[in-house]
Amino acid sequence: MLRYIAHRLLLMIPTLLAVSAIVFIIIQLPPGDYLETLIAEMQSRGEAVDQNQIAALREAYGLDKSPVEQYFSWLFGLLQGDFGWSFEHNRPVSELIGQRILLTFVVTFSTILFIWVVSFAIGTYVATRQYSVSDHVATLIGYLGLATPNFLLALVLMYFANQWFDISIGGIMDDEYRNQPWSFAKIGSVLEHLWIPVIVIGTSGTAGMIRRLRANLLDELQKQYVVTGRAKGLHPRKLLWKYPLRVALNPFIADIGSILPEVISGSAVVAVVLNLDITGRMLLDALRAQDMFLAGSFLMFLAMLVVIGTLLSDLALAALDPRIRLSGGTTR
Amino acid sequence: MNPRNTFTAICAAALLALSQTSALAFQESPLLSADVESGKLPSLENRLPAYPRVVETETIGQYGGDLRIAMARSRDTRLMTVYGYSRLVGYDRAYNLVPDILESFESENDKVFTLTLREGHKWSDGHPFTTEDFRYWWEDVANNPDLAPLGPPVLLKVDGEPAKVEILDERNIRFSWSKPNPFFLPAMAGPRPPFIFRPAHYLKQFHGAYADPAALEEKVKNRRMRNWAALHNSQDNLYDMDNPYLPTLQPWFNTIRPPAQQFVFVRNPFFHRVDSAGNQLPYIDRVLMNISDGKLIPAKAAAGEIDLQARSLFMSHFTFLKQAEKREDFKTKLWETAQGSRIALFPNMNVADPVWRELFRTKDFRHALSLAIDREEINEVIYFGLAKPSNNTVLELSPLFKETFRDKWATLDLDRANALLDGLGLTERDGDDVRLLPDGRRMEIVIETAGEETEQTDVLELVHDTWLEIGIKVFTRPSQREVFRNRVFSGATQMGVASGVNNGIVTPSMSPAEFVPTDQIQYQWPKWGQFYQTDGKAGEQIGLPAAQELFNLFKLWQTTDTPAARAEIWEQILEINAEETFTIGIVCCTRQPVIVADALENVPEEAIYSWDPGAHFGVYLPDTFYFADPARR
Repeated sequence: MLRYIAHRLLLMIPTLLAVSAIVFIIIQLPPGDYLETLIAEMQSRGEAVDQNQIAALREAYGLDKSPVEQYFSWLFGLLQGDFGWSFEHNRPVSELIGQRILLTFVVTFSTILFIWVVSFAIGTYVATRQYSVSDHVATLIGYLGLATPNFLLALVLMYFANQWFDISIGGIMDDEYRNQPWSFAKIGSVLEHLWIPVIVIGTSGTAGMIRRLRANLLDELQKQYVVTGRAKGLHPRKLLWKYPLRVALNPFIADIGSILPEVISGSAVVAVVLNLDITGRMLLDALRAQDMFLAGSFLMFLAMLVVIGTLLSDLALAALDPRIRLSGGTTR
Repeated sequence: MNPRNTFTAICAAALLALSQTSALAFQESPLLSADVESGKLPSLENRLPAYPRVVETETIGQYGGDLRIAMARSRDTRLMTVYGYSRLVGYDRAYNLVPDILESFESENDKVFTLTLREGHKWSDGHPFTTEDFRYWWEDVANNPDLAPLGPPVLLKVDGEPAKVEILDERNIRFSWSKPNPFFLPAMAGPRPPFIFRPAHYLKQFHGAYADPAALEEKVKNRRMRNWAALHNSQDNLYDMDNPYLPTLQPWFNTIRPPAQQFVFVRNPFFHRVDSAGNQLPYIDRVLMNISDGKLIPAKAAAGEIDLQARSLFMSHFTFLKQAEKREDFKTKLWETAQGSRIALFPNMNVADPVWRELFRTKDFRHALSLAIDREEINEVIYFGLAKPSNNTVLELSPLFKETFRDKWATLDLDRANALLDGLGLTERDGDDVRLLPDGRRMEIVIETAGEETEQTDVLELVHDTWLEIGIKVFTRPSQREVFRNRVFSGATQMGVASGVNNGIVTPSMSPAEFVPTDQIQYQWPKWGQFYQTDGKAGEQIGLPAAQELFNLFKLWQTTDTPAARAEIWEQILEINAEETFTIGIVCCTRQPVIVADALENVPEEAIYSWDPGAHFGVYLPDTFYFADPARR
């Protein structure tokens, strides 16, 4: 087991390196750089911009070097824990992303929890009642959840939350708490606002998870050991809980690796629509302004989150599912 | 207006103000009284200038309350400098220049300006505000090659000649040129004034010539700046309000460092304005600026989460806001706007394609385009009939307005438009009845937008239909503001759509630059504008006699100083613009929805919402707004 973990940890290094290279290339893809944005803004304010000044700025920001040089200086900074400098906010990136990462964690984990709880309840229910009315209704709702665009759902929920429960429009907490230290009232306000993004981001994941759980469970339920158990007069509930459900639960763990990126990218759109103070919004702004170190460090952070999440889910799966053996699989 | 007259008027006003203030007993906010008692603040007499500016308000207000506003971006903290409207000289509601920070000013034929500060005026941290702050800016900032590689701003130069700056004493300073600089005072009253003074006592700690080198080096390293100049510049943004430690002269100052989701602006205890009963302004304790996505702001307004808002609200939200009024405690007002055109088309006379460039530079072609727009229909369909069909020109509110400026070549006449195009030899048509260009291509115009308002694309749909009748096919291409601008500047864009001139309520003494090729941002001739802006270093020389004539008139306007002569030049400039149809204005005079909380007093019912002149709310002095029920806020 230790060998396996060490192996996986070592594998993370080239993975993250590859991710960092791709991230950097993608950020560099659109024409121009942050200075173009800056110049456009100065021009829009009616300030004259002269070529010498632009050259000086370009040098000062290190944008005159080749992309390869820029990449390596950024990478070495990252290795030393220096996330670089945000051009737009004129502050170190690490100062900017701290609190946002925390709230991103909160939203992401609540969403995964939501997906698990809801899909477990519905998935089990419909699998044991295949082709009944409730199965069809749940399936329909599931498809609607998959098909509804997140931003639309977010707007609709936000409107009704305001109309019915008097929850303020947008934001992850009431405006009055925004600059206050953490307190129970502030946490309460966050919880009050949290359910909308959680539902919105979670719906598509939940719908997928219900389908998978249902399919897995149906598979298991037709297996011989279940038939034998039933023939021997085992209580239906025990018959369901003892083995089939436990086997069918594997995707809950195994899919963390695929749900995590989905949740994180889904939260970007929702964060913009709902005006949440989490990474998504700032990431989008950074990409728009071509504030490349801020955007790059954000993306690296999220990539790291996904890679570690996947590792943890694999380890948990190995621990939980007796059918998985490590000895044969690592040479793949 | 005549500078002499202005001067006497101002002297009279100043004297009146002096005689008034001497009789006043001053009062302050209870919040500040508490600080005075505990010794944190000096007494009110020691905070106010000897002669504060007395502002006539509709009603005398009460102290207290938080004003909630919303902005779309963290960087919009600068809007509080716009709304605060503390200026050396500012416009009053009739758009006359009056001293604000200054006690008085004197102008000799727009060549010599003598400015007098208020005795005992202080920065928001209590340090005296004197001519030293002007000297510091002029000598150590504007003329320091490290801080300002380009030298002083263009405003301080006339034909390349920099201002002569004389410090007469602690309260008097003189700026002079050998030729008139009619832009100097209006710029001070602008929404984004050139701050020709800086809080020297604060900024010197970041200045290489003043600070202790070791300490400065340490600061540069800690803030991870490239050098002291970058550090100084990052701390020195009187306009942006992004540095909570930078002293200011505005009614409220920011206490939160960006980026943040909420900015808190608190009252400046040293503010120099009082109401006619002697109460120190502002009335309102704090301004809370919440940062929300621009598209959410109308929803937040409708949910009663905002007390005062105009930005990010559009005519298309009006019915929605009106409906929400019934549930929440606010009213939606419709203020007039000052834009010459709500929406206008800009044929790019610097487009890279030579065939189109030739066509756009042809007067008859531009006339045909303008004649083939059904402005009445657009007004009815898109603007609920609340706008007015008009060229991109001055508004009726302006003394320079004439009906011909508004209507010339701006009425629907498809036959005439077709005849004009036929007259240009563009008679060939293809199977779809679309005309062919001289080189055989279809006559297709791609109109690009900044992609922020769907209103523009809706209007273009209607333009598309009528232009098809004269054999021109329109395609719309929504883009993004920066991209859009850059494409126009480089000549990649055939035609752009945007709002028209910013100031349609001009007086003869205001600059006609918006109607003349002087700026790259003028989408009809970006390269000619750039040529002027960069002193010929970039861009192209004006290539059209009519545009050149405009430019000559503009130069003439600068050197003339009688109002009558200026009015005459203005008239010629507007006439050429109307006759040539350089830009194709569609409708003007739309209204700006403004939501105002029911309890908020002293906000005018009818007003003009304008960037320059006006600074949006600035000219209505938000420091005089107050809550009727401050205890509940």
